[in-house]
Amino acid sequence: MAGEKLETVAVVEQPDKPAEIQIGRDFWPFFRKESKPKGNPATAFNLLSGVVVAFSILAIVYRLFAGLGSPVTNLSQLSPLGLWIGFYIMCGVAFAAGGAVVPFIVNVLGVKKYRPFLRVAVLNNLLTSFFCLVVIVLSFGRWWNIPNVFIGNGFGANSVMFIVLWVFLLTIVTAALQFRPAFAEWIGNTTSRKRAATVALGATVFGITLSVLQQTGVGALLTMAKGKIHPLWYSEMLPVLFFVSSIYAGISLLIMVDAISEKVFSYQIDEEYRNSRFDVMMGFAKICGGVMFGFFALSLIVAQFEGDFAFVNSEMGYWWLLEIIGFVAIPGLMFAHGAQKKNMLTIQTAAVIAMVGILMNRYNSVFLAYNWDLPFAERYFPSALEWIVTLAVVFVQIWAFRWIVNRMPVMRKSPQWAEKFDRD
Amino acid sequence: MDRRTFLKIIGTGVAGATTGSLLMPVQSLAGESTKTKEFYGILVDTTRCIGCRRCEQACAEVNGLPVPDISEAANKQVFASPRRTTVTEYTVTNRYETEKGTIFVPQRCMHCNQPGCVASCPVKALEKKRAGHVIWHSNCIGCRLCMVSCPFDMPKFEYGRAVSNIQKCNLCWDRYKQGVLPACVEVCPTQALMAGTRRLVLEEGNRRIAANPGQYVDHIFGEYEVGGASHLYLSAVPFDQIGFRKDLGTIPYPEYSAGYLRAVPFIATLTPLFLLAVNAALKKGIEKSEPKTEEKHSGTGKH
Amino acid sequence: MRKKILLLVISVIYLILIAIGLTLVFSAGTPGPAAQLTAADADGKISIAHTELFGKLQRPHVIFDHKLHEKALENEGCAACHPVNDMNKIIFTFPKRIDGQGYKAAMNAFHDACIGCHKKMKAGPLTCNNCHKKELADVKISYPAAEFDAADHNTHVRVMRDRFGRGDCGQCHHTYDTKEQKLVRKAGTEDPCAYCHDLNKKRGPELAAVTSVAAGKGLSTRKVSHQQCLGCHLELRDEYQKMSNKDTAHNLHKDKVRCGACHLPNTKSVVSCTSCHIPTDCSKCHTGEYRTADDLRNVPRPYRGQKDVAYITIENARMHGVAFNHRAHQSYAKSCSSCHHERLKACKDCHSLTGKPEGNNVSIAKAYHSAFSPYSCSGCHNQMKAQKECAGCHYNIADVDVETMNPKKETCARCHSGRRDAEGMPQAFAVPGVVGNISINVLEKEYDSAVFPHADILRALTRISNESRLATYFHRDVQTLCAGCHHYSAGAAEAQRGLPPNCRNCHMIDYDEKNLNDVRLLSAYHNQCLGCHDRMGIAKGGGATDKEGDRCAACHQRKAGGPADITSLKNATVVKQNTARNLNAWRPYSKSVLENE
Repeated sequence: MAGEKLETVAVVEQPDKPAEIQIGRDFWPFFRKESKPKGNPATAFNLLSGVVVAFSILAIVYRLFAGLGSPVTNLSQLSPLGLWIGFYIMCGVAFAAGGAVVPFIVNVLGVKKYRPFLRVAVLNNLLTSFFCLVVIVLSFGRWWNIPNVFIGNGFGANSVMFIVLWVFLLTIVTAALQFRPAFAEWIGNTTSRKRAATVALGATVFGITLSVLQQTGVGALLTMAKGKIHPLWYSEMLPVLFFVSSIYAGISLLIMVDAISEKVFSYQIDEEYRNSRFDVMMGFAKICGGVMFGFFALSLIVAQFEGDFAFVNSEMGYWWLLEIIGFVAIPGLMFAHGAQKKNMLTIQTAAVIAMVGILMNRYNSVFLAYNWDLPFAERYFPSALEWIVTLAVVFVQIWAFRWIVNRMPVMRKSPQWAEKFDRD
Repeated sequence: MDRRTFLKIIGTGVAGATTGSLLMPVQSLAGESTKTKEFYGILVDTTRCIGCRRCEQACAEVNGLPVPDISEAANKQVFASPRRTTVTEYTVTNRYETEKGTIFVPQRCMHCNQPGCVASCPVKALEKKRAGHVIWHSNCIGCRLCMVSCPFDMPKFEYGRAVSNIQKCNLCWDRYKQGVLPACVEVCPTQALMAGTRRLVLEEGNRRIAANPGQYVDHIFGEYEVGGASHLYLSAVPFDQIGFRKDLGTIPYPEYSAGYLRAVPFIATLTPLFLLAVNAALKKGIEKSEPKTEEKHSGTGKH
Repeated sequence: MRKKILLLVISVIYLILIAIGLTLVFSAGTPGPAAQLTAADADGKISIAHTELFGKLQRPHVIFDHKLHEKALENEGCAACHPVNDMNKIIFTFPKRIDGQGYKAAMNAFHDACIGCHKKMKAGPLTCNNCHKKELADVKISYPAAEFDAADHNTHVRVMRDRFGRGDCGQCHHTYDTKEQKLVRKAGTEDPCAYCHDLNKKRGPELAAVTSVAAGKGLSTRKVSHQQCLGCHLELRDEYQKMSNKDTAHNLHKDKVRCGACHLPNTKSVVSCTSCHIPTDCSKCHTGEYRTADDLRNVPRPYRGQKDVAYITIENARMHGVAFNHRAHQSYAKSCSSCHHERLKACKDCHSLTGKPEGNNVSIAKAYHSAFSPYSCSGCHNQMKAQKECAGCHYNIADVDVETMNPKKETCARCHSGRRDAEGMPQAFAVPGVVGNISINVLEKEYDSAVFPHADILRALTRISNESRLATYFHRDVQTLCAGCHHYSAGAAEAQRGLPPNCRNCHMIDYDEKNLNDVRLLSAYHNQCLGCHDRMGIAKGGGATDKEGDRCAACHQRKAGGPADITSLKNATVVKQNTARNLNAWRPYSKSVLENE
């Protein structure tokens, strides 16, 4: 889809004066006006994604009435997690980590050159957390009971899942708070914009804390699967490993978003963004390279500590080596090399490989290395519908992302009137 | 804030985290201590089981499940390969050919003393009763983490239904309340199953081992495995020959996630403090060097 | 453009790696095809791998055809390849010598020996792959250990007596004098080879001094038996070959051997003398078949001056002495070392009342009575009792050892008689008149009554007991057999009438209100009947057990018109109300606690 303009807008008008739209009174007329598509909706990407989404809606409706079993999913008693949880809860959360890393750099460390990436990262975090909840509803067998976690119909506070679900909810709220400036600028509400600025640091700090809990928590979900996950992937350090790997996962995603936005949203990108972009990418590459090297070392140390090297010379061992060398060490080196030689293409390639590596790592924990010693016939492999629904949720998220970027000042400069609020 | 204050804040935070985790009670968050309570248990003597599958039939009748055909003709097929419990079979009897001949083993939920499934449930839909039964409630959200967390793969999820439940043996909780033996124990024609308080059946198991040297392996499966369980197995052959895992260890499964859970309060309180401290420490420096960095930005911006 | 190609190449490489990886992942649980194994019929081929020298091999192992080389080097003899020691005996190692240490030296020695000869003879392969064949890498050749048992010993004793005269055991047997540091051949010191040459076993202090010398010289059982047995056989083979001719062969074998044994059917060829006599082929000794103690029952055992009956008595021991019939026992043991596990000495030479270091501090009482040791009296008897014929009853009877609490006096006195001469075999007893068929009607609602052939079973048990010398000696009267099932001693009333107790006397139909753990009648019957049938391998009527067969119907047919099923809890014979009332007594919590749950 790179290189294709998803929606074409000739000019992005920048209102000089806030429209002062209040949420209660005149928001809906404004919203109705804004929700009209900007540009021609009949692009190839839209058609393709539309078909996939329509098809998956059928699958979802079927799933609601007939349950999770075949033909919707290939889940079995011996592999209960599957692709949906594997992709969204495990990988999605990792890719959303950019929503904590960039605010950390910008708002906590105060490195201003990363500022243009702040809202992209936060928006990504917000949307991913929201769609994670959607997928959770899809993949949990008794989804109508999910509010029980929040309303206290049995607080299982000793459960990792309890913490993960609460953090999802809180992350949505916090990310929404962090994104509020963009929203306020969109509706042109000065009061709301002003208030948003006052809580910016608090929301950032809270958001980062939640993200740390989330990344570690997702790893901790699997700590009780001892003996089921292959020893090379299972470790009591899983929370730490997941946390560290999520840092480069989130940044890699931002590098990819940048690469795609540069082509797709080029009309949106303002001067400041364009100017700092190259520097920021190099900075990202340095962080990624460092963290990936750290993750590589950590993985080896954990493997050595738990005596896992005994398993390396086996089928699963080769797969582990491929993951740890081909998808961690090599992209890590590529990041370092790219940052040194200031080569954008190397960095972008490395980002793609790193992201595939994260997918591999999480899928391994959830189903490839989960009950790995079963004979082939009893092994889980996601069904076609599982893939389609996963793809559909990604498409819907892209739609939402595009819709928001086209309307709110995410990549483009904030309107003039709003700038004075950002002096913090 | 100068560098010294900054280091002080960090130091206090780290020290707090370390001492805090030391002071936390080392008892599992989900587990109920076995010392003060008497759990109910079943002793399964696999040397006595004759593979008649009456326990399966009785279990199905009591729990309203499809009653299996336990005629000899059906048994021939059923025993061909080891089975696992399913959503409609809470207990299965398997046949193993071992060094000491054919051995039948009834398998069902172990009702661990500190169950992984209970510890992993976000809504306490799985509950460890004070008497030892692990039972399921309908406020379950269907996240299936209990299935991931069970070392014996016992909770079974009804995939093919809109309203799907977790199904597993509940140690005949309803019958227990009425004061009746579990159905499987009541029908067993060879008393291969014996019910009673866990202490009592453990005593009986140890007595049988001691009284019959060489006829049992000197181990009761479930006495210490994963911190102990209510189903206790006696066997004439090493337990890995009759379908039990040997790598379980004696650490209760909830302990594996307890490390993270103990860290949660510290992450939740110390991370914001740390971030605010860093922010405060860096603010002055940033403000001072602000014009400089901006200059540099505009310089590199021409790429 | 170059960049795009590079990207494409990278992604293709990664895709291929992922595809390969996924295939591996999904095949991880399924075991691969088993490695090819060939049995002993390798026809003299040897796998040369020597992992102890080379560790992990760089090239596939060499499958060496020994027979082919024997034929090719017929004139040169074994010494062409194998070294000769100072006594002009061939040592069956290869190559003749290895100069220096380590991997390289060993490899060079092998290559020099093989390739040097091949070059000299202008025959045989010279290049790597012709010996280190890849296609044979998976072929595994292993020869099962040869066993020199009492029958073989007897044959050799007979032959050697004819050759060398009476009593020259020193042709093979020797011991090592650790003081003089040389081999000694002295009558009366003959021990099995393995005592000194089995280097894998840990020995006591006396023997360890000898084995350490053997180990220092690398004289493992494998090496010395080839040197000793094969060396002698090769010398004799030529002599034998010369001596024999057609007529003597026919004369000697007439009336003793079938013609077809030597004149192979459908061919003109005749087997050579050495195929039976003085074998030199690998497969002739390494047969993989071992004779059992039963096969060797009537074979005379090696004689080294042992007494027929040894009176065992220990000074200061509390028990009477035991007249041990050595002669009777040695025919039930496979070899001397079945009991004499370290030296051919009396037990008390190493084991004393308190234990001695040379006996590994095992006391004499333990040495005789250890329940699990294969060398002790009790241990060996327990092994016998675990046999199919005995296990039916003995499975439930605790083993007797020195730590048994309150053993019956007559049990001990069976051996500890205090008499110096061995007690003769007691008379076999006849089957007494007992109740014939008993029909058991406990489950009469659902099943036809089970007919229990009481007299037949007793008859069968009596037959088993009388056929075995061990059982005959220990089961003095028929009451001993009764106790196999009637395992509790009779009550006063029955004792008066001289009858063993009935099952129902103790086992209740329902759960005993006072003790819920007591065995119910139902399970008493099932455990006793089925347990015995399983352990003795008897299906009803005397056939083999079939665990898959209709086990219920073997004893009782399901009634047609009766209640549906015993397990249907509505029809259960167990009275639930009683059980319910009394369960409160042993439930962990009182009712009030339960109601709060």
